[in-house]
Amino acid sequence: MLSIRDLHVEVEGRPILKGLTLEVRAGEVHALMGPNGAGKSTLAAVLAGREGYEVTGGEILFEGKNLLELSPEERSYAGLFLAFQYPVEIPGVSMVQFLRAALNAHRAAAGLDPIEPPDLMRHLREKAALLKLDPSFLSRSVNEGFSGGERKKAEIFQMAVLNPKLAILDETDSGLDIDALRIVSDAVNALRSPERAFLLITHYYRILQHVKPDFVHILAGGRIVRSGGPELALELEEKGYEQLIGA
Amino acid sequence: MSTPISASLSLEEGAAHLTALLRDSARMDDFPLPLQELWQAQAAQAHLQQLFTELRHKEDWKYTPVDFFRLPWALGQVELLGPSSFESALAPAERVAPSETLPALSSFPTPASPWEALVMGASLRAHYRVSKQGHVSWNFAGKGGLTTQLLTVSLEPHAEGEVWLNPQGEGFMIVRVHLHLSFGAQARLYLPTYLKAPNTYLYIILSAEQEAESRLEGYDLTAAVSWKRLEVKVRLRGKGAVAHLLGAARVGLGESMDYAIRVEHAAPHTESNQLFKSLVYPEGRSTFQGRIFVHRQAQKTNAYQSHKALLWDRKAVAYSRPQLEIFADDVRCTHGVTTGFMEGEILTYLRTRGIPEAQARQLLAQAFLEEVIGRVPHEGLQEAARRWIEA
Repeated sequence: MLSIRDLHVEVEGRPILKGLTLEVRAGEVHALMGPNGAGKSTLAAVLAGREGYEVTGGEILFEGKNLLELSPEERSYAGLFLAFQYPVEIPGVSMVQFLRAALNAHRAAAGLDPIEPPDLMRHLREKAALLKLDPSFLSRSVNEGFSGGERKKAEIFQMAVLNPKLAILDETDSGLDIDALRIVSDAVNALRSPERAFLLITHYYRILQHVKPDFVHILAGGRIVRSGGPELALELEEKGYEQLIGA
Repeated sequence: MSTPISASLSLEEGAAHLTALLRDSARMDDFPLPLQELWQAQAAQAHLQQLFTELRHKEDWKYTPVDFFRLPWALGQVELLGPSSFESALAPAERVAPSETLPALSSFPTPASPWEALVMGASLRAHYRVSKQGHVSWNFAGKGGLTTQLLTVSLEPHAEGEVWLNPQGEGFMIVRVHLHLSFGAQARLYLPTYLKAPNTYLYIILSAEQEAESRLEGYDLTAAVSWKRLEVKVRLRGKGAVAHLLGAARVGLGESMDYAIRVEHAAPHTESNQLFKSLVYPEGRSTFQGRIFVHRQAQKTNAYQSHKALLWDRKAVAYSRPQLEIFADDVRCTHGVTTGFMEGEILTYLRTRGIPEAQARQLLAQAFLEEVIGRVPHEGLQEAARRWIEA
């Protein structure tokens, strides 16, 4: 589904990713861990198509297509979703307006008519329930005045609504209390399917206790230095980056 | 009373004479017709040239493009149109002779400016009185060049009134409006502007005098006009008077929108609120100058002022100048001004969810102005304003 080969990325002329290679197949859950500054968020940003990141080498294929040639919206239509580490506030735009626009853009790209309002509301309420979100949440402005935990839940809610093939969760677990972490993890588990893949970017072992990854990778110095099964995360938890990879 | 006017009167002499006449008699009916004719034929053109020179040095015109004043403006005609598509639930107000409302106008504490003099020679004048309930539907169309008009509305104690100022047509339209709200009167003023004709300039000078316990609400909704300046001077001179002034402007390519708002608190326990928002497209220009003036005796004043400008990109321009002058010590005054670009971060966020940039911008534009539009107490006008933003 996603093939990253020898990816090199610079930010403001400074090399951040230095030859990252990663293969994600449908149905798999990959955890990407690493110390601060390793390049985890840079990878997420490049995948989603955010500005300010210069790819200086390598390639990214998503379902056989060159991802780097697609605009952020085209990546979304292709089935890629990024849950932001720091979701922005959109003053005055309600969650319903926002997701109606997003869903209809997806439908238009697929040659479908706009969704009927009752269908939209049913769809949104169903996914909101998955995240245990109060229905009033739908009429609030996107992320405006949301707590850190609410913002993270809102990201996963959007993911559930847009139904992507590949979801990248950029430190979605950071800043969540135990209950919120459980709700988010349960939602992610509910959305696991043979057709869908996840890339969990995280600092912490604790989310991986709830969402069991198939593979764990350690990113350091701009490339993946170790890969393994779930046991690698546990080993990391016990030893720390310094002992494990000498970082 | 009225001295005969010589046709050889200079511009300055004409203006001085006119002002003196106003002060003495405050009766439009006393005006000798020759003066009006003189004014219209000769003075208007020269007047504009003089104003152009003067205004460029005036602080509150500093950021306003006035080059078009120099165009060779012919005097045009303005006519009143039938009821607009915005219907009012209230009965029409009573039209009265000018002498019954003009004292209120002449007592207004603004220095007689050249503008005032120009407008006094207005080709279209009307005076209304609202005794209990009534609306004034002032739908006008200018054509053929420069037009001036004068409208005064007087609301009697506890009267409830609506005033619709609905411009059509073209050219340079100067509209002078004066409202007088007696004790306990309530007025809603609607100022929708959507003029698609090119080179259309609209200058509205609004003054309001408010007695005790009166309430004024003003709603300006502006889109598609080459140039518009809304000058508002509200004086809260009776205890407990309240004024709420709101505006939402979509300033399109090459357009200019100018808010010059002054609210004067001259009595205790008065309240005012200014909320203005400008969405500025590339090569558009927005100006906001808002002033709250609190007199020494106006204790327990509650005043609020906010202007927000949202710029499409770096080719859009916004000037904001909030001003507070407070001479009382027991007051609550807050003000806030923000000016920002449509943020790349937000646009990217929307795009990662599949919303193309053009649509994302539209969504943000609508959301930005909705804060004002959503507060307009007239559904038909709300809907129209939302359509204007999309256009």
